Amino acid sequence: MCIVTIAAMAQNKAEIIVSYECTNPSKLGKPVMSKMSLLASPTEAKYFNDLSLWVDSLKSTPEGKAQYMEILKKACMTVEPDGSTSWNLTKGPTKKTYNYVFTNLANESLIHYGKFGEDLGYYIEPLAEMQWTMVEDSTANVLGYECLMAECDYHGRHWKAWFTPEIPMSFGPWKLHGLPGLILKAEANGGFSFLATGLEHTDRIMTPMYMQGDYSKVDRKEALKNAEYFVNNQESIMNAQGQNVKIYSSDDEGNKIETPKYDGLKHSIEPDYKMK
Amino acid sequence: MNRLLAYMLFLIVAISAVAQVSVSGTVVDKDSNEPLTGASVIVKGADGKIKKYTTSKGDGGFAMSLPSVSGCRLEVSMMSFAKKTIPLDSVSFPLTVQLEPGTTLLKEVTVKADRIREQGDTITYNVGSFAQQQDRSIGDVLKRMPGINVEQSGKIQYQGEDINKFYIEGSDLLGGKYGIATNGISHEDVGAVEVMENHQPMQVLSGISFSDKAAINLKLKNKAKATWSFHGDAGGGYSWQPDGAIWDGELFAMAVMPNFQNITTFKTNNIGEDLLAQATDFLASRRGTDLSRYVGLSLPGVPNLSRKRTLFNRSALVSTNALWKLGRGEFKTQIDYSFSRITAEAANVTTYFLNDGNRVVTEDRNGVDRTHSLSGKFIYELNQKTAFINNTLKTNIAWDDVRLGVTGSLPNDQTASLPDYYVGNDFKIIKRFNGKHLVTFISKNEWESLPQTLSVSMNDGLIRQHVKDHAFYTHESAAYAFSVKGVTISLEGGVKGYFRSLNTELPDMPEEIPGETTNVLNTNYLTIYATPKFEYWVKRVNFTLNAPVSFAHYTFDKALATRSEVYFSPSLSMNWKPNNRFSMSVSGSTGRSPMDLNMIQPGYVMTNYRSFRRGVDDFYNSSSQRVSGRLSYRHTRRGIFANAMVLQSWSHRPYTLAQQLYGDYVVYSYTDAKSDGQMLMASGNIGKTLDFMRGSANITGSFSRNESHLISENTNVNSVGTSWSVGAKINGAPLRWFSFDYRFQWASSRMSMNGINASWLGNMENDLLLNIMPHKKWEWHISGEHYRNELTDDQFKNVLLLDTKLIYKLNRRLELSASLSNIFNQRTYNYTTYNQLTSFESQRWLRGRELLISISLRK
Repeated sequence: MCIVTIAAMAQNKAEIIVSYECTNPSKLGKPVMSKMSLLASPTEAKYFNDLSLWVDSLKSTPEGKAQYMEILKKACMTVEPDGSTSWNLTKGPTKKTYNYVFTNLANESLIHYGKFGEDLGYYIEPLAEMQWTMVEDSTANVLGYECLMAECDYHGRHWKAWFTPEIPMSFGPWKLHGLPGLILKAEANGGFSFLATGLEHTDRIMTPMYMQGDYSKVDRKEALKNAEYFVNNQESIMNAQGQNVKIYSSDDEGNKIETPKYDGLKHSIEPDYKMK
Repeated sequence: MNRLLAYMLFLIVAISAVAQVSVSGTVVDKDSNEPLTGASVIVKGADGKIKKYTTSKGDGGFAMSLPSVSGCRLEVSMMSFAKKTIPLDSVSFPLTVQLEPGTTLLKEVTVKADRIREQGDTITYNVGSFAQQQDRSIGDVLKRMPGINVEQSGKIQYQGEDINKFYIEGSDLLGGKYGIATNGISHEDVGAVEVMENHQPMQVLSGISFSDKAAINLKLKNKAKATWSFHGDAGGGYSWQPDGAIWDGELFAMAVMPNFQNITTFKTNNIGEDLLAQATDFLASRRGTDLSRYVGLSLPGVPNLSRKRTLFNRSALVSTNALWKLGRGEFKTQIDYSFSRITAEAANVTTYFLNDGNRVVTEDRNGVDRTHSLSGKFIYELNQKTAFINNTLKTNIAWDDVRLGVTGSLPNDQTASLPDYYVGNDFKIIKRFNGKHLVTFISKNEWESLPQTLSVSMNDGLIRQHVKDHAFYTHESAAYAFSVKGVTISLEGGVKGYFRSLNTELPDMPEEIPGETTNVLNTNYLTIYATPKFEYWVKRVNFTLNAPVSFAHYTFDKALATRSEVYFSPSLSMNWKPNNRFSMSVSGSTGRSPMDLNMIQPGYVMTNYRSFRRGVDDFYNSSSQRVSGRLSYRHTRRGIFANAMVLQSWSHRPYTLAQQLYGDYVVYSYTDAKSDGQMLMASGNIGKTLDFMRGSANITGSFSRNESHLISENTNVNSVGTSWSVGAKINGAPLRWFSFDYRFQWASSRMSMNGINASWLGNMENDLLLNIMPHKKWEWHISGEHYRNELTDDQFKNVLLLDTKLIYKLNRRLELSASLSNIFNQRTYNYTTYNQLTSFESQRWLRGRELLISISLRK
């Protein structure tokens, strides 16, 4: 019965699609930009990356998987004259972000899918965890919409969000939600921000998560801790598994440099796992 | 004590509870009474500020508590429902809030995928981010995409090279007639345009044979897939010249289903739009029958003005194209019928200033050209990794009747009937074994008949000339190829047969011209050929060497001596692609080839009332060499596309064109003098996206120099034509309510004969279109064209033509428009040129002011 309900809900059509430009600090110093999309109906929303969604939807069927490999091969594989092959995955359509957020008002919860270190995982969070305070007279205009501002402390960061009551949907980028209007802009201390760059009517179907079976349930804080440990100890973890690797980064001039450490307090959008 | 404390605590809680008002209720759909989840519920104070808010839960319920609600109002809103406002002063809770359906208008800002993306060899252009308000068809948007060039004819090039396939959702429905799609499909139905670089259309050859051509694929939006989409325009109005009613209509239907595709279109107009061009097959290879017209009767044109301004037409086009996927293959039919009736007029007055008074020669040319063309193509194709089969049956029947009357000093009336009958079948099969071995078999058979009749009545006499020209061409070939370690070696061998008969008869000839007046001739050949081909891939470099050798036997049915010839014409090309951004190629070829057999024609043929033509009376070979280089660069993330090309060729012929005047007649013939020619061409193009205003810009330049020899009035003439041009285009939408298109073109050319230079003559053209959207339902176009044409040295002719159009969008499906073109009603293009002894005055006609009211509907 439960599965039937989910399937029926999953056929829900979105009414709008919003594109966001997301900025994060990175351990290499320079901020990283990425593009994300939000499909939303009055009762639910899905936050994802277009390329990742495309890759996952392809890989969810055996024919699609083969097709995807074919595409990757064409894009990334070079056949040397001696018949050997070399791959450069940066040239092909590969997933760069693993995050998906499904927010559902009827269930009063959201599900976050992601990759923590090497492991795919998901967790469920009640919507009530985010409580906003209105800030009067701090309006902003985004994409021609007059937006009001609200503030909130959430998982270790102080967020400011600008939402528009003209679009009565309580969703926003990432896990941000719960305001009487769509969130078009948000900023948090530490250099985290989201900005809407496009907004359109749509009749796209909000497909459920592809390959849900590959994700196992995790505790958010534990998973974030593990992820940090993995990033900072990748080399020794891989070597312990019997491989012999040396991981290095390169700067703008292409010189090899020591990989800087990932510090959740600086680099994680939810640093509460490092706080007492 | 404890009890007292507890009691007091209770009291405080109770008091504070009393002071709070609980705002609660349920949100329901007024029509169905179903609870609505996700409605935004806001309590606003008297000052309009948000005091409290929530969202209706799964059962439609909401609950909030506030210290007071006096002066407050409750606002409930939800997408697709009308907002409801309830004053809270005199209501009791829980409330039931009924929402009525309504529309939530979004100020839409296009969701930007990157405007141009790159994945391996595929470049994807996001259509929405290049389309401007004034665009209608996908062809309008293609012109704005940097790297893609749409020529005047509608032919598409990518980085300076013609594309080799045009797909719709991965299926090749239209073949080379992609003008039907680019002019018909609405850009709103297309999500993305994909350019596949180095596209090898035959899967069986992928990885074995290199292709330097690109293909285009239209990715439709979901709403246009698995359904029929239609749109239609109907317009009517009045024209001041030609005086009378005008019309412009179009019906377009398209179905893109998983196993079936269809595009059917019907168009008709008399407003100067040439529909014949829209059904042109841009990928057609030259017919094997290789016939060409001897009669050349053409209507006068207007120099250097856009065709739409000067074409007096009535045109109609019907085209229906279908594709069915049958198992692993597909079957396609393409049927087209087009009709056009074109009229043209020109008046010239030449005045000779003589000592004994001026002599004036007038000529008024007035003509009608009626053409009908009916063509059908039936194709079966199987395109797989291990096998390729294609059978194409094609047929074309065309009628072209031209009437051209000349009044004035040499009055005459010419009529020509120029039908063309053609049928051909191409069969090709390629099979791949063990991944590395390829076997190909090709059979082509074509037949064509090109009868031509020209009648000239002049000085009360009538000359009627008949030309009968038939040809049959057959070509059978087999090929074997194998590939090992990056080297592909192939050998193609085959037989070509050609049988042609020519019969011309000119019953009456002006006495001044000496020579034969009949041709009864067969030009047949049988060729056996072998083409070894080597392709070598090393590190991102591809080398291709082609070395065709053939043995040909020519027979002329006793008119000429039989000939046997051996031809060898090797070509070598290299293509280097060091990374995804750069690519470079150089190629060269040399060889000997037989002459164009249409030129063997010992007797005279009349091409029009003033000119006669005679070919050669023997068989000759010619030789030629050519080298070319090409460079292209793209940086998709920055939206930069650039390419440059240079080509030099040399030709050597043992015969030379001679021109001789006999009284009022011009006679063209060939003499057996050596004639060398050479040509140099260079061109470049840079395109760039202008993201800040959702636009793009483009700069082009070209240069050409053509040197040839002819004999005029028994004198050797070395003629050199030099021309160059620069152009620029820019478009964008800098403001939400404003977009523009601007184009500039400057071209200059010069002719030199035997070292004596005529002066450079330049033409400049400026086109500007401004589009203003004062309201989202209204659109207003103002456009103008300015021409500055140099007639003789430093003498210019300026023409300014202004148009305007007003569009009212009733809704997404229905649109009304009114357009007024050539507002100032410029009717003529007159010019006069002088030299010391003569003046030449010419008058041509333009399309006058036109008012057109149109309605457009789409599904």
